[in-house]
Amino acid sequence: MTYQSRYAWSVLFRLFHWAFALSIVTLVVTGLYVNSPWTNTVLEGSRSFPMATMRYLHFLAGFIFASAVAVRLYLWLFGNRQEKFWDSAPITPRNIRNLFSTMAYYTYLTDRHETRLGHNALAGTVYLATIVLTLIQLVSGFYMLYPESVFWQKWGVALFETQQQARFIHHLLMWYFIIFAFFHLYIVIWNDIKSPEGLISSIFCGRKFHRSSS
Amino acid sequence: MTRHLDKSHFEPKLSRRGFIKGCTIAAAALGLSDEMVPRLVEAAASAQKPPVLWLHFQECTGCTEALLRASHPDVGRLILDMISLDYHETVMAPSGNQAEKSFKDTLEKYSGKFICVVEGAVPTKDGGIYCKIGGRTALEIIREAAPKAAAVIAIGTCASYGGVQAASPNPTGAKGAGDVLGMPVVNIPGCPPNPIAFLGTLLHFLTFKRLPELDQIGRPLFAYGRKNHDQCERRAHFDEGRFVEQFGDSNHMKGYCLYKVGCKGPETFANCPAVRFNDVDVWPVSAGHGCVGCTEPNFWDTHSPFYERLPGVKIPGTGGIVHDVDSAGKKILGIAAAAAGIHAAVGIGKRIVKGRGKSDEDV
Repeated sequence: MTYQSRYAWSVLFRLFHWAFALSIVTLVVTGLYVNSPWTNTVLEGSRSFPMATMRYLHFLAGFIFASAVAVRLYLWLFGNRQEKFWDSAPITPRNIRNLFSTMAYYTYLTDRHETRLGHNALAGTVYLATIVLTLIQLVSGFYMLYPESVFWQKWGVALFETQQQARFIHHLLMWYFIIFAFFHLYIVIWNDIKSPEGLISSIFCGRKFHRSSS
Repeated sequence: MTRHLDKSHFEPKLSRRGFIKGCTIAAAALGLSDEMVPRLVEAAASAQKPPVLWLHFQECTGCTEALLRASHPDVGRLILDMISLDYHETVMAPSGNQAEKSFKDTLEKYSGKFICVVEGAVPTKDGGIYCKIGGRTALEIIREAAPKAAAVIAIGTCASYGGVQAASPNPTGAKGAGDVLGMPVVNIPGCPPNPIAFLGTLLHFLTFKRLPELDQIGRPLFAYGRKNHDQCERRAHFDEGRFVEQFGDSNHMKGYCLYKVGCKGPETFANCPAVRFNDVDVWPVSAGHGCVGCTEPNFWDTHSPFYERLPGVKIPGTGGIVHDVDSAGKKILGIAAAAAGIHAAVGIGKRIVKGRGKSDEDV
């Protein structure tokens, strides 16, 4: 058995990943504060603006998050082979077969699994759902950030009707992202232990150890 | 408070001064310059008073009350003075057949010219039998009158979006006028709405012969174009993180931000902080109570609990168990962690049973 070091993830893809990951962490921390500010300045004239600062950081991270999503959508169409939409989305017979075999592999029903340089189809499916939810999160976020903009009002009213509903959905989806991040970390570590292809380091250096068939 | 015992309260006639004052207030609310005041005055003083049919359905008459008892005693009077109120169940003199006759006469004589004001929601379930006037359902009445009107104005949240009647489980199938008619309607929501918003809409229509610009859900932008939160006098406390922790605490007494006790100002489009109510410059937040967001559709369902930021999550399949969002989120995260723990344990167990050699490298 020989392993070959192969280039899997482009620089832009890795930048997307880290912008996405770090912005989510920032958004969750500041978002929880904005929803339920656990400090109380009390002192007047203290020249501290915790709520304004947290909101500023939240919006800043929101724009990084939005840019990261735009990059991911671009890479779905114009990225390298592993990054393209049809390489991992459950829309081709190859991926649908892989979706079920990955589920069997993850539930310990079999040790056999297709070695892929890119995502497996289960990951591809979850990432597809995540990007859809991300878009909903962005629309609700921009609707709240620009309440007076006609453009965002049209989208916001069509999807959520009121600001309060948008806020509620925005908050619920935050929990999706927390749970997604948890499972993502768990699965990545599990895979890294199960099949030694250097999955974790690939998101830093872009290279994976791919098992050659010979 | 002696000014409220001013004799103008009891004076049935509107003074010239009060008349100009009312028009100026409306001009300010509409965001018009003072050069426009004479045009509003001219339109309001026109001898041709537009006939108004005022329909009452599922409502509490609070909107009419708010209008008639509006503060500047002149506002209510100004409105009554510049329109010809042909049918209004609360204030009209005729009753019974005579009332029905004036309703029919207006429809016939002024078809396409009168203004139809709707107050209250329209029940639609079971053929609309839950609200009947003179033996006819509200549904029949509004469908007869509204299409013949020059403009339909829904006053109050009930007429605009259904209001409390339409709150879950909405037993009578109550809907707002716009939904029932399927045609554009000017919504002046609020519980009650500020009379200035109604006056401004009316004066805009009389002066410019068209309705004011509306937002996505039919509210005039001059009154509902901005969030309460962005005009609030307590906004500085919000940005600087000074909050009321509970009603009656020392922060409450100092007038800090009501965000943590559930104020819905950040979710509510209205002009309450700017225009205020009843000539004494108050609105809920200035009186120490959070905004409940009464100008928003479905606010009874989605803005409650009124003293918390977010509604609870209904857990499906449990017959209405409601859980706080964050505690539900934490529990799901806990379940996820437990699932991952079990998954890892199964993996380790399998490896122990099958032996290490059976791992991936050999497959």
